Amino acid sequence: MLEIQELTKNYGKYLAVDHVSFTVPTGQVGILLGPNGAGKSTIIKSIAGLLRYQGGVGIERMPARSLEAKRVFGYVPEVPSMFDALTVREHIEYVRRAYDSDITEEEVGHLLARFELDDKQKKLGRELSKGMMQKVSICCALAIKPKVILLDEPMVGLDPAAIKELKEVVLELKAQGVTVLISTHMLEMVKDLWDYVFIMQKGKIIGTFDRQQQGDADIEELFFQITGGGESE
Amino acid sequence: MRGLIYIYQRTIANNIKRALKRPVTYLWLAFGAAYMGMVFFGFQSMIQEGDFGTPENIVAVLSIIIFAMIPGNIISYSKRKGLLFRPSEVHFVFSAPVSPKMVLMFEGAKSFLGNLVIGVLIVICGGLWFHIAIWQLLAYCLFFVVFESILEATIIIFCFGNEYFSEKFFKRLPLVMYLFMTVVAGTAFYKLMNGEPSFALICDYFAMPVIQLVPIVGWNVAATRLIFLGPDMFSLIGTALYIVSVIGMFAYAWKMKCTGEYYEDAMKFADDYQKLRNNQKKGIISVPWKKKGKLREASVEYKGSYAKAIYFRQMLEYKKSPVFIFGWNTLLCLGLGIAIAAISYFNDAIGEFGEAKIFIVPAVVSYVVFVFSGYATKWSKELENPYTYLIPDKPLKKVWYATKIEHMRAVVDGILVTLPGAIVLGLSPVLTVLTVLLYICLNANRLYYNMLADVLIGNLFGNFGRSLVRMLFQGFAIGIAVVAAVIGGMVLSVEAGFFLMILVMSVLTFGGAMVASLSFERMEVIE
Repeated sequence: MLEIQELTKNYGKYLAVDHVSFTVPTGQVGILLGPNGAGKSTIIKSIAGLLRYQGGVGIERMPARSLEAKRVFGYVPEVPSMFDALTVREHIEYVRRAYDSDITEEEVGHLLARFELDDKQKKLGRELSKGMMQKVSICCALAIKPKVILLDEPMVGLDPAAIKELKEVVLELKAQGVTVLISTHMLEMVKDLWDYVFIMQKGKIIGTFDRQQQGDADIEELFFQITGGGESE
Repeated sequence: MRGLIYIYQRTIANNIKRALKRPVTYLWLAFGAAYMGMVFFGFQSMIQEGDFGTPENIVAVLSIIIFAMIPGNIISYSKRKGLLFRPSEVHFVFSAPVSPKMVLMFEGAKSFLGNLVIGVLIVICGGLWFHIAIWQLLAYCLFFVVFESILEATIIIFCFGNEYFSEKFFKRLPLVMYLFMTVVAGTAFYKLMNGEPSFALICDYFAMPVIQLVPIVGWNVAATRLIFLGPDMFSLIGTALYIVSVIGMFAYAWKMKCTGEYYEDAMKFADDYQKLRNNQKKGIISVPWKKKGKLREASVEYKGSYAKAIYFRQMLEYKKSPVFIFGWNTLLCLGLGIAIAAISYFNDAIGEFGEAKIFIVPAVVSYVVFVFSGYATKWSKELENPYTYLIPDKPLKKVWYATKIEHMRAVVDGILVTLPGAIVLGLSPVLTVLTVLLYICLNANRLYYNMLADVLIGNLFGNFGRSLVRMLFQGFAIGIAVVAAVIGGMVLSVEAGFFLMILVMSVLTFGGAMVASLSFERMEVIE
């Protein structure tokens, strides 16, 4: 479960996020939608513990900044940054050790194969393209075997095969009871994935939709219905 | 923690493995060893000839280091800029289940390692040059490495990890430290001015009880004195206070609450530092903490098309800048010009050099242009812009219009660097103009030969390698031009010699620009 309570973040005098609260229940997929500058990335970075904020963030009912919460939390940032001198495989190994993950060699191999990285295991971080870095970043987050995972614009830079694979991974995680929060612009990419949609504008949540209540409603229609107009970016 | 250890192990191992495969590493090692040897023997002869090798002097040197280092550390750490986190650490370490204090300690490991290196150097230098007993040196090394590292670690945790004191406190702390350093330097300067200036005065200054009782920094000096010079009341009190304070601060840092709020500042600094590194790789000099100035409203009339558009677009950008095409280099040239004039005036350069005075300004500017690699401005960004390559025009024209403003800037810089000296030295207007032209020519030569080096070796040997190749080419060009100048000067006149030099340099520069224009033909760099 991921709980955000009265999250507020100021950058100097600029109010980036204004008393935002929402919850993604255990084993559900939440989608954070909104135009540029709406405050999505600020929320994501706050949850990941990278920013100072007022309010509360709970991961599996634990404070997000606690080490216990971090142990079960996976994070895929919008812009991946690799260690220059570590190979792809070494990135995964680092994650395995840092999180004391019980992922096996076989599972790592399978994960890398799914994202077509099995032949690039010995490539150094500095030698990877942006798309490959994004794949490594996703694999690292999955290698934690998280209970809550945060994906910030995860489809950017991925090739069609990897996008398809990622969608399948998200559905598998959901089936395993993992809580997922995805921040994205790409409505089309998440229309089969969502359980909850949180629409943001100017630092506030202006709409929340629960798939069970909305039935087969199209995410794109819901978005434009609440934001008004076709400016979905 | 296991993860952090793993990162360090693999990073070091992979970097060593990679470095050993590159021939340039061995070149650097040889260069480094030769340089270290030169520094070592240089210092050795200086210390021996100056009869400097006494325990009192090493204590004074170490005291200066202590008084500069500890406040310096506090300043940089309280600004949350002393530790260089990388974006990869922000991505993989900050969100990992690692104590934020542990993250700080791992990041500070380079500084602690630095303390170890300094400790070993003190043992070597103290034993070889300052005639100090080995037990004293080892005791100091142990003291320095252990207590200095603990002190630094606590300062890091206190400044970065503190979530109790307000932002205002950490903004004021550097000001207090600057004030402290100013007072210390000011009183030292006052003492120097009121006595016979000598190093013995500095030794006396640090021996003053009031200095040894300055919290932390002075107490550290007291401990240094105790180990090297033996006990006295103040060194004993200072040392005891130092040890107690370090242990107390360590206990505070250990217990202090730290949930990782500093990650936000560290993340921002990591981004800024990454930008700085990327700029440095491209030869662009930038000041990371300098906020971008506001741009003015401006417009430009495009008088021409194709490659000319590059020039007009650059001009529009510069017109929007509050300082137009000028910058720190303009000030540097003015400073250099004034320095040449002042030194010439106060040292009676006219009487000293006679007729050869006309060569003073050209010699200085030639040296400066030759030695310094120059700095990348808007023209170098053209090479990163795909539209530059798509413009349907000849590469040589693109080179010219992309660098035209550099030549305009060189005219102003050339006048600033030449005029003050020319007035003081009483150069004729013709010679003054020729000297300005020479500066412009040398600047253009450096610019295009840098480009040429880029075309020939790319990133193969890094920025330094590129500079060396450029210096080699430019050295040849200057050599040929000087020969032409000497012949012209002997056969015709000094002015003709100067003119011939500029002419030859221009031809050689144009040749370099022609070859260098290849870099405007396709968007790829030799890796």
